[in-house]
Order: sequence, then structure tokens, then C-alpha cells
Amino acid sequence: MRTLKLIAGIIVSVLVLIQFFRSHRNISSGVHPASIEHQMPIPAGVQALLKSACYDCHSNNTSYPWYVNIQPVAWFMAHHVDEGRSELNFDEFGSYSKRRQVSKLKSITNSLEDGSMPIASYTWMHDEARLSETNKKSIIAWALQQKDSLEARQ
Amino acid sequence: MKNIFLGIAIATAGLTACNTQPDNKANDTHQMGDHNMMDSSMNPSGMESDHMGMMENKNMDNVVSSYFNLKNALANDNAKEAATAGTEVATAVQQVDEAGLSPAQKKIYEEVKDDMIEHGKHIADNAGKIAHQREHFETMSKDMYDLVKVFGTNKTMYYTHCPMYNNNKGANWLSEVKEISNPYLGKKMPTCGTVKEEIR
Repeated sequence: MRTLKLIAGIIVSVLVLIQFFRSHRNISSGVHPASIEHQMPIPAGVQALLKSACYDCHSNNTSYPWYVNIQPVAWFMAHHVDEGRSELNFDEFGSYSKRRQVSKLKSITNSLEDGSMPIASYTWMHDEARLSETNKKSIIAWALQQKDSLEARQ
Repeated sequence: MKNIFLGIAIATAGLTACNTQPDNKANDTHQMGDHNMMDSSMNPSGMESDHMGMMENKNMDNVVSSYFNLKNALANDNAKEAATAGTEVATAVQQVDEAGLSPAQKKIYEEVKDDMIEHGKHIADNAGKIAHQREHFETMSKDMYDLVKVFGTNKTMYYTHCPMYNNNKGANWLSEVKEISNPYLGKKMPTCGTVKEEIR
């Protein structure tokens, strides 16, 4: 009984202690000249879908939920956002080489088709990021069209 | 369904056998002629590039040989070996010494560099997902082909087409041998493909 209390006490104090650690936030307001909307045409509908389903991890601005103030949630999120941004950042799209842009557009269609994106751990808490088949199709159609036009210009 | 596939495989294998493409060297329009040591010794205009040619070939040899390792691993359905080879490709591409390159070579190298490195790393990171590795390999193969076309090669290579991959959209790859061993369909359909072009 005493050891149980001790263990519970340690867990609680660790949980309290880690609340004092802050994780960095991915928020940078202002203009991003390299962002994708300055690189290629995007229909407003597709842009809205990208913003609600992808931009939290794939842009320079994450809109954080309230529970980001709780550790270890904040660490977990910071890690995910870092990883997402290094894979694909819509706000830095113009800084990629043309070939990389083509590859990224291809990967967007592939990951939507095979359902690996938006990632399940994200849609679990974000209803607005769950894309319907129609939504997916409109993003895929746009991405393929832009991919073809980029390739044609190569 | 299986019979249809088998039919296609046999038909394509047949096509491959009689599909000997003409020499493509004439199409190779890069500035400095062939970078092959043997060729340049026969080619007076290539004298100046002799030394550089050797360096370029060594650089590119690593890229090409690691790409072939990757291709062969995928053809054998070996995702683990493919992952290792993916790292090799990324490293080899990164290590190409730009100082020794002609302007045309530099241009294409800079175009494909980031893309190939990223594909190599992704293939390395997905040792458990061979389908995903193959997706990246497809785009990488296009980069590789464009590189080889400009850099030239001292060994004959075969640009090969598989019509069935990706829901019959088809895909290409480079091979060091004429015999088809399909990196996209692996052991399921090892001989599916036709040689589109011989590069020397």
C-alpha cells in the first residue's frame, strides 16, 4: 500500500513538474512569399480544404487547440508539427526545386489515395480534418493538374 | 485475371527480345562529348576533359551503382536491402563534387539533387513499406535517367518500361542488364517490361 502511494505520488509530481516546460509554437504571422498560393493557381475550395486539413502540420502557422497548454501533449504536438513541416511546408513551397515540387504534388495525391494523410492521430481530435471522398478527389485533381503543368514546363 | 497478366508478361518478354533500339549516342547533345575514358581517348575533342571525365565518372559511378542496388533489392521484394540502398543513393548524390562538372552537368545535377536525396531518404525510412518505397523509386528513376543522359555512361544501360505498374499507368526504370527484372512488381511479375532505350 505504501509503495503504491509512493508510485502515485511520483507520477503526480512528475506530471505537475513537466507543466513548467514550454514547447516552441509554430506561429509566424506575416507574408510568406514562397507559399504555394503565390506559386500556382489554387481554387478557393481546395485552398480551404488544405487549410483546414493540412496546414496545422504543413505550414508556418498551426492553430493550436486549448489542450496544447498541457504537457506532455505540447511535446507530442511540437514533434508532429516539426516532422510534418520538414516533409512538406505549403508556406515554403516555392523554395523547393521544381522537381521536388513535382514530387511533393505526387506525394500529396498518393497519401490522400492510400489514406496515410491526414494522419489518424490528428483526425481523431480534429473533425474538420476528416476529408470526404469528394474533398479528396478535388484536392487530388488539383494536385495532378499542377503536377502536369509543372512537368510540362521542365 | 492471372492469365491475362501472364499473357501480358509473355507478350512483353517477347517484345523485349526483338526490340533492340538503335544507338542513342547520337542524341546525346551535351557539350563535352563522351565522358568515358576509352571513348575520349578516341575522340580528339575530348582530350581536355580526360582528367575531369575520370572524376565525374567516379562520382556518378557511386550514384549509378547504388541506384542499381536499390533497383535489384526492389526486384527481389527485399524492402530492408532497398532501405539500405536508399541511404546509399542519398549519400552518393550528396557527395558528387560539383567542381568537376561541365555547365550542362551542373545544371541537371542541381535540378535533381534535392529530389533524389529526398527519395533516397524516404526509401530508407520505409523499410516496412515496399509499396511506398516503389512510389519514390519511380520518381527517382526519372531523375536518374535525366542525369545519365547528360553525364553519359561507360557501360550500356537500358531504360525499361513496365506498362502495368500503378493501375496500368506504367513506370520506367534504368537497368544495367538487358534481361528484365521488374523492380515495381517484384517476384509477382519479374519479367514484365520492355526496353525502351539503350543508353551508352
